[in-house]
Amino acid sequence: MGILISPKRLFDVPVHARCITPDTFSTLSLSEILNLEVHEGNRKRKLKELFEVSTGPYTSPEGFTIWMKGDFSKVRYIGYGMSTGKIVLEGVAGMHLGEEMKGGFIQVYGDAGSWVGSMMQGGRIEVFGDVGDYTGAAYRGSGRGMRGGEIIVHGNALNETGCYMRGGLIKVYGSVGQFTGMHMHGGTIMVGGETEGRDGAEMTKGKIVILGRVPSLLPTFKIEAIKPRVKVGEERVEGPFYMFTGDLAENGEGKLYVSKNNNPHLKEFEKYLSPVKVK
Amino acid sequence: MRKIENVICPVCGSLCDDITVYVEDNRVVEVENTCAVGRAKFLNYGLHRKPKPLIRKNGELKEASIEEAVRRSAEILTESKYPILYGWSSTSCEAIRVGLELAEEVGGIIDNTSTVCHGPSILSIQDVGIPSCTLGQLRHRADLVIYWGSDPYSAHPRHIERYTVFSEGRFQKSGWRSFIRRLSGKLVKKRLSRVAELILRRKLTFPEEKYALPPYFISEEERKLVVVDVRKTRTAEVADYFLQVKPNTDYEVLQALRMLVNDQDLEVDEVAGIPVRTLEDLADLMISCDFGILFFGVGLTMSKGKLRNVDAALSLVRDLNKRTKFLIMPMRGHYNVTGANVVFTWQTGYPYAVDFSLGYPRYNPGETSVVDILRRGECDAGLVVASDPVSNFPASAAKTLVDNPLIVIDPDVTPTSMMADVVFPSAYIGIEAEGTAYRMDHVPLRLKKVVEPPPNCLPDQEILARILREVRRIRRG
Repeated sequence: MGILISPKRLFDVPVHARCITPDTFSTLSLSEILNLEVHEGNRKRKLKELFEVSTGPYTSPEGFTIWMKGDFSKVRYIGYGMSTGKIVLEGVAGMHLGEEMKGGFIQVYGDAGSWVGSMMQGGRIEVFGDVGDYTGAAYRGSGRGMRGGEIIVHGNALNETGCYMRGGLIKVYGSVGQFTGMHMHGGTIMVGGETEGRDGAEMTKGKIVILGRVPSLLPTFKIEAIKPRVKVGEERVEGPFYMFTGDLAENGEGKLYVSKNNNPHLKEFEKYLSPVKVK
Repeated sequence: MRKIENVICPVCGSLCDDITVYVEDNRVVEVENTCAVGRAKFLNYGLHRKPKPLIRKNGELKEASIEEAVRRSAEILTESKYPILYGWSSTSCEAIRVGLELAEEVGGIIDNTSTVCHGPSILSIQDVGIPSCTLGQLRHRADLVIYWGSDPYSAHPRHIERYTVFSEGRFQKSGWRSFIRRLSGKLVKKRLSRVAELILRRKLTFPEEKYALPPYFISEEERKLVVVDVRKTRTAEVADYFLQVKPNTDYEVLQALRMLVNDQDLEVDEVAGIPVRTLEDLADLMISCDFGILFFGVGLTMSKGKLRNVDAALSLVRDLNKRTKFLIMPMRGHYNVTGANVVFTWQTGYPYAVDFSLGYPRYNPGETSVVDILRRGECDAGLVVASDPVSNFPASAAKTLVDNPLIVIDPDVTPTSMMADVVFPSAYIGIEAEGTAYRMDHVPLRLKKVVEPPPNCLPDQEILARILREVRRIRRG
């Protein structure tokens, strides 16, 4: 048993739909779902006024499934605080996808906006397109970003991925903007492509693994070793990697692994490595 | 001729309060003590102002009565699903308060010009905190003044003279003597080298070391001025020491300074092109002062890194406070942009980019800030008060703004008002109307009314109150 949703028209103003979560839908009948309240700009609307909603035989191992089809780029807070079930979105997702999520699974076959999985505590988000800024970050002014769960982005991400992150795993297979892992206090970020620099700025703990090229490193990172491979979540990624610690301006103990083969310009740091004792 | 003393200048965030204005036949004829910018405003305000409100009919702006313009504005705002209310930094706190009430009533987004200047500073201040003070305290105590990414000689012309380096404090001598000494030293050197050239009959060249602290701090009692910028500005020319950073590398330099202040070693030889030795000298200078102040401007907040540059600057000052007394202050531009932040915070809890569309205030710059909303094409009506976004917003944002119904309340004729649907020519706050404004150090000052406004030009507060009353009347049916 599941629900199919698609927008009735293209929205021009933001639509706030915190109610689109498996937790809410699974406890209600279809007629109750149709009358749920959403906001289109400053107007209160019922779900049925903006979206085509129907029931269908959509099931998944995660439980109650919501199947979304169409352009949801203006629809915000999809899967807000969900703890169970699954959302499959074929199209574009708006901002704050899976914010404060505690469990369940969100799959997006398309792009997603900024603040994907911000402050999430558990569950899994997989985006097959690109995402915006502040993936797995904290709410403005808060120092507690993503604390658990997993975000996998197959495309690119923009700035400040994993800002104030405290736990969990973010994998971006494409490239990222600057300030990846800003103020990071824990957790793991892996970047498959290149970055725009300033990675791990002001991080105190946690791990960032960059497989592509970094333009430069912050002066507040110190080289520790060259490692042949590194563990990201359950898997091992083959290197070799330069291992840096930082951010020393914050007395941080964060680990920054940067691919050796893709960053020949970082070779100058090798002179700071202590010479290996030969027996 | 009437002489009015202690008038406050409504131009920049310094809010100089020692202006003398001479008025004859309801016209300002002479001003004293102002800078060139303030003088130009007092003597030439209202030259191009339209006598009556304007409404666009069949593509042309036609004169209309105030009542008609108020009704049209109220209709635009009540019909809109996501209106934006922008500007607010060059008007009085009283007008801003009414504006916030209007934003709540119409369920709109209200944002002030800090969104394009010191908005990132506010985000970082919320993250890190700010050790700050009033300008009066600096005037009497500061012995090291740093301007980072700001050029007060051009933007706040009397800032250095009134509050920092060239002001004579009760406990701290002014720095103008060392400036004169340095200037005459340069002159003597130039003359001597000319004499030497004439004697030796060849051109002499002196190698100039690019990054070295000057050897002469002759008088330790006098204030020192350090300027950090990407180019040699007018302020940099009077500075004791000028550090030129590469554009978009402020973050690296600030972080490196933090390490040096914390007695840690840098593994690199140079940071963003600046030798570490130079940074060590600067860190020494910062630690050895008794009372330092770092002013930062839009050079820090609007270059690459934005809020994180300010984050690093605030953290640097936090680290410096373990060693000495050090403070930090943003150089606010418009005369009441600080007031806009204060009134926004007092009314809604958030300093800018407040979204009332859900009925309660929400705040998330990037999502609820006006430039981002306009660039995504999400708004469907606009109200601009005392600002000119069409001139200085990105083209795509300005396009959304003018493609939708637009109301402008502004005493000046600007590109924004020329493209608007309803235009209210208002009275100049601080010249033709009273009002409260906050100086950049959060000190509220009462702006004076020195002349009477023209009959159809009401103060912003009054126009907004009338629109609000009309909106409420329409809503109640």
